[in-house]
Amino acid sequence: MSRDRADTGSARRESIQRGPNPPSVDTEASRSVWHARWALIRRELQSLRSEKTIILAIAIQLFIAAFSSFLVVGLVSMYDPSAIEGQERAIAVTGEDTDELAAVASQQDGLGVDRYDDRADAHAAFEEGQVDAVLDANRDDEGRLVVRTTVPDEGLQTTVLVVQLREALETLEYTERIANADRLAEQPLSVPEAIEASPYAGFTYTILLPLLLFLPAFISGSMVVDSLAEERQRGTLELLRVAPLSFVDVVDAKLVATAVLAPIQAAVWLALLAVNGTAIAQPFALVGLVAALSVLVAAVGAGVALYAPERRQSQLLYSVGIVGTLVVSTALPEHPANTVAKFATGSATATSWLALAGYGIAAAFTLLALRWYVDRLEPESL
Amino acid sequence: MSRSEGPSIGPADAPGDGADDGFASKLRRLGRIARWEVTRSTGTIDRRTLLILVVMIAVIGVVGFVAAEDGLGLDDEIYVVGVDESNPYHDVAVEANQFRPVSLSDVEIADDGESGNVDLVLTPDGEIGYVGPNGEAAYDVFRNAVGSYNEGLMAAENDSPAAYPVFVSLEYQDRNLGLFAEEGFETEGETAGDGEPGSGDGGDTDDDTEADDDTEADDDSGMTTDPDADGMPSTDDGLQVPDIGGGAGEQTAPGTPGTLSPPFPFEALVLAFLLIVPMNFVIQVYGGSIMQERLKRRGELLLVSPASRTEIVAGKTLPYLLGLVGLTAAIVLSIDGGVLSIAAVFPFALLFLGATFAGAMFARSFKELTFVTVTVSVVLTTYAFVPAIFSNVTPIALISPLTLVVFDLQGESVELVEYLFSTGALYLGSVVLFLLGIGVYREEDMFAQKPIPAKIIDAIVSQIDSITARVHAYASPFVLSILSIPFVFGAQLLGVALLFAIPDAVALPVMFVFAAAVEEFAKSIHVYAGFARSRFDSTIRVGAILGGISGIGFFLGEKATHAVQLVGIPDLSVGTAAFGPALSSEPLVLVALFFAPLVLHIVTAVISTVGATRGRTSYALAFVVATIVHVLYNLGVIALVA
Amino acid sequence: MAILEVEGLRKEYGNFVAVEGSSFSIDRGEVFGVVGPNGAGKTTTLKMLAGLVEPTGGTARVAGYEPGEPAMQRRLGFLPEESPLYEEMTARSYLRFFADLYGVPREVADERIERTLDRLDLEHRDRRLGNVSKGMKRKVAITRALVNDPDVLIFDEPASGLDPLTTNYIIEFTRELSEEGKTIVFSAHNLFHVESICDRIAVMNEGRIIARGSVEEIREAHGGTVYYVYATVEGSHGLEAVETADSPVTVSRENGHVEHVVEEMAHVEAIREAVEAADGRITDIQTETPTLEEIFLELASDSPEEAEA
Repeated sequence: MSRDRADTGSARRESIQRGPNPPSVDTEASRSVWHARWALIRRELQSLRSEKTIILAIAIQLFIAAFSSFLVVGLVSMYDPSAIEGQERAIAVTGEDTDELAAVASQQDGLGVDRYDDRADAHAAFEEGQVDAVLDANRDDEGRLVVRTTVPDEGLQTTVLVVQLREALETLEYTERIANADRLAEQPLSVPEAIEASPYAGFTYTILLPLLLFLPAFISGSMVVDSLAEERQRGTLELLRVAPLSFVDVVDAKLVATAVLAPIQAAVWLALLAVNGTAIAQPFALVGLVAALSVLVAAVGAGVALYAPERRQSQLLYSVGIVGTLVVSTALPEHPANTVAKFATGSATATSWLALAGYGIAAAFTLLALRWYVDRLEPESL
Repeated sequence: MSRSEGPSIGPADAPGDGADDGFASKLRRLGRIARWEVTRSTGTIDRRTLLILVVMIAVIGVVGFVAAEDGLGLDDEIYVVGVDESNPYHDVAVEANQFRPVSLSDVEIADDGESGNVDLVLTPDGEIGYVGPNGEAAYDVFRNAVGSYNEGLMAAENDSPAAYPVFVSLEYQDRNLGLFAEEGFETEGETAGDGEPGSGDGGDTDDDTEADDDTEADDDSGMTTDPDADGMPSTDDGLQVPDIGGGAGEQTAPGTPGTLSPPFPFEALVLAFLLIVPMNFVIQVYGGSIMQERLKRRGELLLVSPASRTEIVAGKTLPYLLGLVGLTAAIVLSIDGGVLSIAAVFPFALLFLGATFAGAMFARSFKELTFVTVTVSVVLTTYAFVPAIFSNVTPIALISPLTLVVFDLQGESVELVEYLFSTGALYLGSVVLFLLGIGVYREEDMFAQKPIPAKIIDAIVSQIDSITARVHAYASPFVLSILSIPFVFGAQLLGVALLFAIPDAVALPVMFVFAAAVEEFAKSIHVYAGFARSRFDSTIRVGAILGGISGIGFFLGEKATHAVQLVGIPDLSVGTAAFGPALSSEPLVLVALFFAPLVLHIVTAVISTVGATRGRTSYALAFVVATIVHVLYNLGVIALVA
Repeated sequence: MAILEVEGLRKEYGNFVAVEGSSFSIDRGEVFGVVGPNGAGKTTTLKMLAGLVEPTGGTARVAGYEPGEPAMQRRLGFLPEESPLYEEMTARSYLRFFADLYGVPREVADERIERTLDRLDLEHRDRRLGNVSKGMKRKVAITRALVNDPDVLIFDEPASGLDPLTTNYIIEFTRELSEEGKTIVFSAHNLFHVESICDRIAVMNEGRIIARGSVEEIREAHGGTVYYVYATVEGSHGLEAVETADSPVTVSRENGHVEHVVEEMAHVEAIREAVEAADGRITDIQTETPTLEEIFLELASDSPEEAEA
């Protein structure tokens, strides 16, 4: 039976014999390699889109931005009464030596001064809520002005009040020091007049902006780790390896697909900040910096994923590595976050530009090292 | 793949299948799964990787330690100052790390001071001008830097009374103005400290402050250093926030005005934060382990074993939970915390694991899992951290168990009620999350590729089924609405926290809608799930009944959380938007206020559940309508009370 | 004309020898089966042919190229044992993606994909692959192996773990492919399929090829046809004469009926002569061919030193 089939089969086969199928011209081959690379990149991006991971990634960044802004706006508000609009609070000034204190305190924004000759009256007014603080000022033997301050135990408002009182007392301290000028070796410098300035600028440039710029790069690296671990886990890596493109191509495509997202996100963040009134002096340098970092981080991620193909292991190595890099980078002449802040405020120095170039070179070097590693990788280890 | 055998559960030392139901054998099975989980997880990390990890952590530790000494330098030289060396302020610009001084001859200013290569210009005649978009911010920082510089100068003076002519003591004092009730919250104020001059804090003991290192503490005025009240506004800190020491702010011993610290437990907070950090790493491994079971049907081995789903999940979770408790205990010991700290962090560890477990059961791929774990990390860390910032400021802080840790580190006592208030929602929340996850820990769901929303619907339906099996189908909306309360609460709290900083004009409307939407969602999503998976008859009558039951359940659950109002959240205007106004003292209003929500919850729940009987689109529409009704009601009540 | 040549192919993992000096060659258009128990080295051999595993020793040439060369990869269709899929993609986009990887122009690819899916009778072409049945996944995986219209197909267990209907579909399809002129190397442990479509097979055990040749050759070398000869003989004298006839086995003897089981035609002749001499009558002669399975079991139980056909 089987003999019969084989006979007729082979007979028929002779008649339909065909030549080698795919055209094997060299230029065609190189064209199709580019075609293949592009297909890989597209698939990678599509998978990000279809899993909505990129949306989640952006949502997380938004959340972190909101969270950290909240932290600082909240914290700064506590220490900087001008950041919170508030009504004037009455304080009682009492004691033996109240003139200087009353003069200074009434100059302070947000404070209204009521003078009480009798300490008990002042405390009674405090208990009744007519005043929110009692300042009891007396001179000691050495000529110091000692101020006993009583504030209510009333949460946030008290916090604001304490900050206002501190400002007033510091001004008082300054005027007292000037009065003691003859006893001092060095004269204190006069503190410039306060102006309306955003208390968040420092935070925005040194914390928020670096965070928003680095986060996409780190997420890119994590995506490369996951993507490679997943290909291996599902067995699709084998399919890519029997296709006519090198493994370097496969890794490259993943790097391109994920690393390209970070600079785009960075550009969007910069644009948003600019719209919101945060001036960014050198946006192109910053996008370049993010591009270099994301290539660097993604290449490291790919290397980790190939070295430790099991995902739990590679993600652990990667995340510890990233935290480590952040910590170790404090040993650099300029912390990356500081470089970002300098480019953003327009205070970039030669060191900043050197650092930018350094990241670019490091990215290129890591990419080369990765290629070398991929080339000599034992195929069976995957 | 070589490790293809599952744990040998059951027959090895349980003589027969009949012994399966004994509590002891349950425990034995659980223990075995836990042991297997440990060996399997440690098995995936080879020695070389472990070595690399250890080396990396060691390097991080050493460099981190060195860096902590020097400061991070994030804001080094971010502003440029044009100033000549002859100017007395030149030294300020040199000493403050935020500034890079350039000589006035190099300054270029264009567009009438709108732009230039500097942010500040100090003219020889003592004027300070600011340039460009960051000029004002730079000016502000410079102003503070002058203050620090002066402190440094004064610290070097020999004549202490002349250099420190003002001493301040600060006392917090309770006064009863009938503004708000503070139940379960300890009074911190002690009256009248000894304002005796000449003894007390010598100002600065903070070694990090470069401008005013080692101070006059040992001078002739007999001042002693008080470690509890250290910290001066330091200028080399990364955040533009004064660095306040660990004390609660009470300063009965007089110090210089600069030492006045608003009540902010910075140090304790950072230490408490340390307790949360390891959780973020542990959940990565845990989530990976759960996900692993779901790939290539590996988990089938355990599913067919005599161990029940709950036992499997408990067994797989136990090692991580114990590990976290161990880590927590180690950290707590090293920062001199007590048992309270461990007890406060424990439910948080449970919640981290619960959320990760549910997330890993819903995720379709490792990539999705990564984002699930990151989301869990970020949201829960926020939940823990944000309220704790206000530890000494407002009782709202008690929502986060980290506040308990802060209290513990500050040596304050915490009552059982407070502990329960802080952690109750967490315990309940983690139980619900585990239940949801266990609901889909079964053959047909574990290995299927469904979008996350469909998985969540399935998980809810599995809870409906188990309630139906035990009580009655109509009991499910009641129970599930109550169970949703901790999440509603958490979501609203996060909303309050995040919108806190935004001006009321924007924050209030957003919060009103957000809070109403969250509640309506919680009341109706499980009913919708039941309709979507045909657990209920899709008739309007059934929809209305289920909605009514759900509304009653939610109302009762919400009443339980009225403890919130007792601790004073409604004092914040954003808090009012979320949780409704504080209870009025008028009895009639009180009764009305008590029962009006019942009517509201029933009505709005019925609107959305009736919509749910007709599919997704009509559910979405009905949900929007219910939210609008809810918002209107809230506005009405607030108008009434005000 | 050999399109695939293997000479002394060897693979070691540390001290473990997975494949030990395999040699064979396959002609264009042939269906070549590699059979053997689990762990015999079938998959390793196929992966070495596909260029996925680097051999420790020996050579292989596929369509004139070394495994792993791009020109060879373009002529090869490889179907791994499992069906690796991107579960978030639909069948159609998944197949197009691979067509792109092989540089197949879009129109050609679409036409080819639709035709192949039609032939495999696959529905739900726009459903996500994570949500389709195992059989459908396998069909998509097979279609994927054909997107580049390869000359050589390497199928690792194409029909394992599927229901009989799908299995038949796939086996029939493989047969059709071979009739269209594709060369197919195919591993299986279900010998029925091997027997029904393979022109030649190699039996592997413990990393070695222990038998090789066409199904018939192997069958002849390792146990040929068995003849059952049924006869009736009058009288006990005659009966004894028949029994002692030159025959290895007498199976039964009952009321003058005798059943012989012999393996060679010569023995059948001898029995017939003996029966005729005893005035008996041959009532029936039946033949039975052993299945490959039986041969395979016998071979596998022998020592691997045992030789080739």
